[in-house]
Amino acid sequence: MNDQVDQGYLRTPPGRLFRKYLYSIVALAFAALAINTGFDVWFSYREQKQLLAATQREQAASAAIQIGQFIGQIENQIRWLSRLPPELSTNEDDRLNAIRLLRLSPAIAEIAEVDAQGREQVRVSRRIADRIGSKADLSGSPAFRGANDSRAYYGPVYFFGDTEPFMTLAARGNGPAPNVLIAEVNLRFIWDLVAGIRVGNTGKAYVVDRMGVLIAHPDLWPALQRSDLSAHADVRAALDGVGPPSGGLVKEDLSGQRVLSTYATVPSLGWLVFVELPLSEAYAPIYASIGRSTFLLVILLAGAILVSLFLSRRMTVPIQMLTQGAKRIGSGDLGLRLAIKTGDELEALGDQFNRMAAHLRDSYATLERKVVERTSELEKARDHALAEHDAAERARSIAVQANETKSRFLAVVSHELRTPLNGVMGVLQLLDDGNLSDAQRRHLATAAASGETLIALVDAILEYARLEASTEALETRDFRLDRLIETAADLMRPQAFGKGLTFDLACEATAGTSVHGDPVRLNRILLNLIGNAIKFTPRGGIGLTASAELFDDHVLLHITIRDTGIGIAPDMHERIFEDFVQADDSIARRFGGTGLGLAIARRLTRLMHGELTVASTPGAGSTFTLEVPLGRGQSGLAQAAIAPPSRRLGVLLVDDDPVNREVGEAILNRLGHRPTLAGNGASAVALARDHAFDVILMDLHMPDMDGVEAASRISKLDLPKMPRIIAVTADVSASARERLARAGIAKIVSKPILIGALREAIEGAPDEPAAAQLAAGALIDRHFLDEQKDLLGPPQIAKLHHLLQETSDRLIADIANAAAIGDHKQLVRSAHQLGSAASALGLVRLFERCREVEVAAASTSTSECQSAARDLAALQKASMSALDDLLSPLEQRSVN
Amino acid sequence: MSERTAPARVVPAVARRDFLRLAGATAAGFFALGAVSDRVRIVASLTALSLDDELTRRSMTEAATTRLGGLIAGLRQRGWVEGVNFRLELRSSFGGPDKLKSAIQEIIDLKPDVILTGSTGETAAVLAVTKTIPIVFATSNDPVGYGFVQSLAHPGGNVTGFTSSTPEMGAKWLQLIKEAVPDIARVGVLFNPATTPRAGRYYLDSLEQEAVTSRVEVVLVPVGKPAEIEGAISRFAEPPKAAMISLVDSFLVVNRQAIIAATAKYRVPMIYPFHYFMDAGGLMSYGPTLEVRSADYVDLILRGTKAGDLPVQSPRKYELLINRTVARTLGLTIPFTLLARADEIRE
Repeated sequence: MNDQVDQGYLRTPPGRLFRKYLYSIVALAFAALAINTGFDVWFSYREQKQLLAATQREQAASAAIQIGQFIGQIENQIRWLSRLPPELSTNEDDRLNAIRLLRLSPAIAEIAEVDAQGREQVRVSRRIADRIGSKADLSGSPAFRGANDSRAYYGPVYFFGDTEPFMTLAARGNGPAPNVLIAEVNLRFIWDLVAGIRVGNTGKAYVVDRMGVLIAHPDLWPALQRSDLSAHADVRAALDGVGPPSGGLVKEDLSGQRVLSTYATVPSLGWLVFVELPLSEAYAPIYASIGRSTFLLVILLAGAILVSLFLSRRMTVPIQMLTQGAKRIGSGDLGLRLAIKTGDELEALGDQFNRMAAHLRDSYATLERKVVERTSELEKARDHALAEHDAAERARSIAVQANETKSRFLAVVSHELRTPLNGVMGVLQLLDDGNLSDAQRRHLATAAASGETLIALVDAILEYARLEASTEALETRDFRLDRLIETAADLMRPQAFGKGLTFDLACEATAGTSVHGDPVRLNRILLNLIGNAIKFTPRGGIGLTASAELFDDHVLLHITIRDTGIGIAPDMHERIFEDFVQADDSIARRFGGTGLGLAIARRLTRLMHGELTVASTPGAGSTFTLEVPLGRGQSGLAQAAIAPPSRRLGVLLVDDDPVNREVGEAILNRLGHRPTLAGNGASAVALARDHAFDVILMDLHMPDMDGVEAASRISKLDLPKMPRIIAVTADVSASARERLARAGIAKIVSKPILIGALREAIEGAPDEPAAAQLAAGALIDRHFLDEQKDLLGPPQIAKLHHLLQETSDRLIADIANAAAIGDHKQLVRSAHQLGSAASALGLVRLFERCREVEVAAASTSTSECQSAARDLAALQKASMSALDDLLSPLEQRSVN
Repeated sequence: MSERTAPARVVPAVARRDFLRLAGATAAGFFALGAVSDRVRIVASLTALSLDDELTRRSMTEAATTRLGGLIAGLRQRGWVEGVNFRLELRSSFGGPDKLKSAIQEIIDLKPDVILTGSTGETAAVLAVTKTIPIVFATSNDPVGYGFVQSLAHPGGNVTGFTSSTPEMGAKWLQLIKEAVPDIARVGVLFNPATTPRAGRYYLDSLEQEAVTSRVEVVLVPVGKPAEIEGAISRFAEPPKAAMISLVDSFLVVNRQAIIAATAKYRVPMIYPFHYFMDAGGLMSYGPTLEVRSADYVDLILRGTKAGDLPVQSPRKYELLINRTVARTLGLTIPFTLLARADEIRE
């Protein structure tokens, strides 16, 4: 998974870096080029505009100079004429000179020579007849006066014949009485000049006079119309003396076209020469320049993209190689060598990469060698450890076996010791015939006491051995806690009183509850602890307090047993719970005992998952605390106090087995019902006909009449009140249930009969039969047996024991016979009877085997039947022997 | 001052080249015209000359020696190519008042875009027929006096054009011919009262005033028919010594060959107002230089300018032409003052 993640992480989309570089470089190049071009264009635009305006100003100035020269030339000519000395020529010569001048200057339409007194001497004209010596008085004319005042006179523009712009020019000669020459100049000749001024391709120049009247225009006719342009803002501004804007003025010309306009003033005349260039033409070079720049930008950009592609490839290819290399090294290919030949840092990086890979390869090789070495060492160590473990295991099993052997030995020895001791004790009891002397009686008493001690010692060893062999298993059931404690106290109280001790019992109300546990073992622990307290307390008293903490699913029992005895030294507090340990030897001498009591008590406590501890001060007494968790008792009932039924019922119990009949009768009595017994199907049918029963408990397997048949017969009796029939059987298979259902039997109680299950079945409790809870492999269901013991009491049990012994012996013999002669029917019937009887006292293995034989009998061969019979016989023997073991103490006591 | 080329050459020799030029100019015209090329315009011209007069001949060369040639060349420069986007319709009033009337009617029927007229009489006749079709006259000496225009600068209406000599020119002609022939006692003034401005009075005032100053007798020689010309001129062959002045008169222009022939025949010195007479072999002429730019105005009018907005143009240049051969034939010696003044001296 890590690998996947790593690979996923490494799987960079191809070309991402390449694109990043490419875009970056292109963007950079583009930005640089665009900014450069932008600035270039902007400045070039501004410069060109300035240049354009400057050029135009130059043109205007040049035009103004030309016009000035045009007028100036005429002025020079008339001045030249005026300076001819008057005495030099006759009038006729003057006329000839004037004619020459007219020929020289087409613009001069008329020329007149006036003497110093203002008398006209000669007038030469193109239009009218020349006059010579007319002596007309012109002294009052503005031209004469103007020329006399300032040697040269420029008259205002006037229009001759409505359309022709004219101007009067006058000049004065030298000398004491200078002549004045007055010329009328046709300004239409400026048109030639103006038309000849090239302003770009389509631009034009025009001239206005000091009043703003158009004098000359390349189109000619506007000038002939005496157009007054002084209303135009730019003309007005120029007439007012405002200089032209440095960048030129953009305006609309007479034809409405947008033009770039500027002007210059004609020196001495005060006329204005306007130069106008259409914007379309004026800005054409600027637009062309912008176009060129844009084109160049595109070309450069394309170049930049190509260069970027090249650069990005040069940068990314080695990086991609490095990435691939890293990926392959990551996947374990250490033999890779990157061939990056860029001659820069990337190549150095590639070399470093190769060195790293080589180094890694070496390291891996070393590591692998070390791993191999270490693995082989570890394998050796493991083999060694395994061998040691096996040895230890063997030693341990030997030790366990030895311990078990010891325990078995102890058990056997103890058991074997008891028999002669019983004999010895019996004889000792017989010896005192009343004729013994005091000394003899004292000896006898000593011997008897020693014997009892010996017996107790053997019993203790026996129990300890069983605990040691782990054969002890808890036998749990529900019981009343307070009752158990009180019983134990009652048992021990006489001993305490016998020693002159007080015995206080404080049983808290919480202890008055029903719990689920092993009452026998708990009782033994209590008796042991109380016994010890009594034993080691010379005076004072014993105090027992009991309380129970109730939890949801369990009860925690606290019991403390306090005494005022000799106490226990602190270092002995734990040791006293060890095997065969007493506080010290002197104690053993003074108080006797095996030293196994507390060890057994603690082992039993631990078996019950409880804790047994001690707190003690030597000389002041000891306090033993017992804490044991117990299960909560079901429905708070103890078997000892069964609640009476809601109604007392008449019950007919049908069973061919006498043991079962006895047990059933006892249970029914105990449950508070009225039992009537029937030994076979026919008598059951008869009884049912004659008596009214509420319930019939019907055994299904009976020799004369099958339970099902009996039940159907009863149901056909047409009784006024039909009793409920409950089948009692160990066969709870589906086929059996079906068969019962057909016979109208709905309820089944399983064998062996449990009191709770029977009660529920009779009194209408849940239908399901209580499942038999048997310890697998055990010969006897001890729990069931204990219940039976509690239920029936020892005498009844003993009686049943004997009865079972006899019946089972007879039935084993019958089975053997039947198997020998191959009588399957008899075999089945006897096996059924044996199983049924065995179940009454909880001989579960025997019961199960009988059922197997019973079921399989019909289909088995004779030899198989015989072997089954032998099995049954062996099992019967073992089971009866186990039952003997369990019941013998009880019977002895009852015998006693 | 202005150069005179030889009379128009023989047409076939240059036809092909001209055709190629025409084709090139046609293509150029398309480009130059732009928005106004959609319709073929009609330019009508009314002339007093006979259609086989060399002055009415269309010049196929760039150098325009006639008004008509100048018009066609000028229009071509401005993108108007004859036969492509405009059509020139030439009509002559030669042959009397009936002919004038029918010619005008023909022109009106053409629905022309502009009408060119040659003289005051024709202009008045056309104006009497239409007040809407733009008219360009070249030339009329007294358009304000005849009521063609409100003023020269702002004509108004549908007429504009070019003027020729001013009234003072009468005195000038007399002064000039007296300089050429100083010993004259009388001067004959040739004109047709029907075709000259104000029946000749336009010039005669200044002329008669100058005659008093220069002590010369003025003899008015009105002629009404070409046949009268020779007889009228012949009267000045006898003493006392005489010279003649030809006034501005379309009739005289039309009959210029007959006049020149008569003066040569009877050895009568005569001064003329136009150079056309010099081309026909006259002694001397003085008058305004041909600066008639009809093409300018026709172009502007075809492009939408109102004729009345265009000012009437007056002459600015005057030229003196002298034929020394003719002078020698007549036994005249041209004085310095005239030679100094002459713009062109033909031998």
